[in-house]
Amino acid sequence: MASFRTLQDSNRRKTIGLLLGFGALLWVVSYSAMSYFGATGVGVIPIAVGISLISVWGSYYASDRLVLTMTGARVIQESDNPKLFDLVQEVSLASGLPMPKVAIVVDQAPNAFATGRDPEHALIAFTTGILDAMDRDELQGVVAHEMAHVANRDTLVSAVAATTAGAIALISDFLMRILWFGGRKNQNNSNPLALILSFVVILLAPLAATLLKSAISRKRESLADATAVQFTRNPTGLRKALEVLARDSTVVQQRSTAVAHIWIESPLDAKAVSKLFATHPPIEERIAALRKLESGGL
Amino acid sequence: MEIFLVVAGIALIAFFLVSQYNKLIRLNVQVDEAFAQIEVQLQRRADLIPNLVETVKGYASHEREAFEKVTEARAKSQSANGIADIAAADNMLTQALRGLLAVAEAYPDLKASANFIQLQEELSTTENKVAFARQFYNDTVRTLNTAVKTVPTNFFAGFAKVGEREFYEVDDPIARSVPKVSF
Repeated sequence: MASFRTLQDSNRRKTIGLLLGFGALLWVVSYSAMSYFGATGVGVIPIAVGISLISVWGSYYASDRLVLTMTGARVIQESDNPKLFDLVQEVSLASGLPMPKVAIVVDQAPNAFATGRDPEHALIAFTTGILDAMDRDELQGVVAHEMAHVANRDTLVSAVAATTAGAIALISDFLMRILWFGGRKNQNNSNPLALILSFVVILLAPLAATLLKSAISRKRESLADATAVQFTRNPTGLRKALEVLARDSTVVQQRSTAVAHIWIESPLDAKAVSKLFATHPPIEERIAALRKLESGGL
Repeated sequence: MEIFLVVAGIALIAFFLVSQYNKLIRLNVQVDEAFAQIEVQLQRRADLIPNLVETVKGYASHEREAFEKVTEARAKSQSANGIADIAAADNMLTQALRGLLAVAEAYPDLKASANFIQLQEELSTTENKVAFARQFYNDTVRTLNTAVKTVPTNFFAGFAKVGEREFYEVDDPIARSVPKVSF
C-alpha cells in the first residue's frame, strides 16, 4: 500500500542515486579531460569547480534576498494578510519548522515558491492570483508543499546540483575553446579510440548534466507533494489545488528563467520543452499520485 | 602506529556513545517543545471564548445551555493537569464550541455580523493549529518511543533518564474536519 512515507522514501533514494550519478559524471569528465589534454586538463578542473562553487554558493547563501528581486516578490507582515498568515502558522506548527517569511508577488497567474538557505532563513511567496483562485483547503495544500521544500532542504539540493552541472559545463566549455584554438593533446596517450571517447564525453557532458539536474528537480517536487501530505494529512486539498493550477493557463510573467524551477507549477511552456528537460513532473502525474493517497488511506 | 589505532578506536567509540546519548536527549526536548506548542494554542483558543460568548449572547441571549457548556468546558480546560486530563478537557471544549456554533446557525443576523465572522475564522484557524500541534507532538513522541525501544539507542535510555512518553489522544471521530472558511 502506497503511503506518503513510502513515497518519501522512494523519492529520497532516487535523489541520492541521481546525486551519485552526478559525482560519477564529474569524475568521468575529469578523467576524459586528463587523458585528452594531459596537464592542461588537470589545470582546468579546479578552476571550473572553483568558479562554479563561488557563483552558485553565493546565490545559495543569499537566496532569500536574491529571489525577491528576481521575482519582484514583496515581504508582508501579519497585518497585511492575517488569513494567509494563519494558514502558514498552521502548517509551520504541523511541520515543527520555525515560521518563515511570507511574500506576495503581484501577478494574475496562480503560483507559489519557497526559498532560503535553511529553515531559519526560509521565505515562501504567493502570487496574488493564487490567493484569489483558491479556497482555504487548497491554499493550505500549497502552503504545505512550499513548507515541504523548506523541510527537505531543497534549496541546498538544487545548489549542489547546480554547482556540479555548472562545473561540468565550464570544463567542457574551456576544453572546447582550447581545442578550437589548437591546444596540444597529451603526447603520452595516443590510443585513438580513447581519444575519440574522451572527446565525445567532454562534448556531451553538459547535456547529461542538464538532464540529471532536471531529474533531481522532478524528484524533489514529488517528494514535496508527499511531505505536504505528511504535514496536513489531507491529500485532497493539494490535489484540488493542483487541479486549479492545471486548469489555469495563465503563466507568471517571469523576469528571469533562472528561477523557473522554484515555483509550484512550472512557469515554462510545458509543450516547448521535452519531458526529460522539465523541472517539474507532469501535473497530471502529481494529481494521480495524490489521488492514490486519498483512496489508499494514509 | 598501534598506539594511533587504539586512540582512534577509543575516539570512535566515544563519539558513538555521545551521539546516541545526545540523540535521546534531543528527542526528549523536542517532545517537550511540541507539547508546549499545544498548550500555547489551547490557551489562544481559551482566550477567544469570552469574546465569542459575548457576541453570540448579543443575538441569542436565551440559549443559556450552550453558553453554560462552553463556559464550564473552558474552566475545566484551564485547570487541567497532565496529558490525558488536558486532552479530555480539550475534547470537551471542542464539542461544546461545536454546539455553540450550531446554535448560531439559527440566527441569520448573528451569522452576518462582521464580528462573528472574524471570530469564526480565528476559531477555525486555532482549531487547526491545535490539531496540527497535536499531530506534530504525536509524531515526535512516536520517534522518541521508537528510539527508546530499539537497538542501539535503547541501551542508553536508562543512563540518559529518557523514557517512553504518552501520546496526546483525542477521542473524536470528526476531529480532522474543520469548519470551511472560504478565502
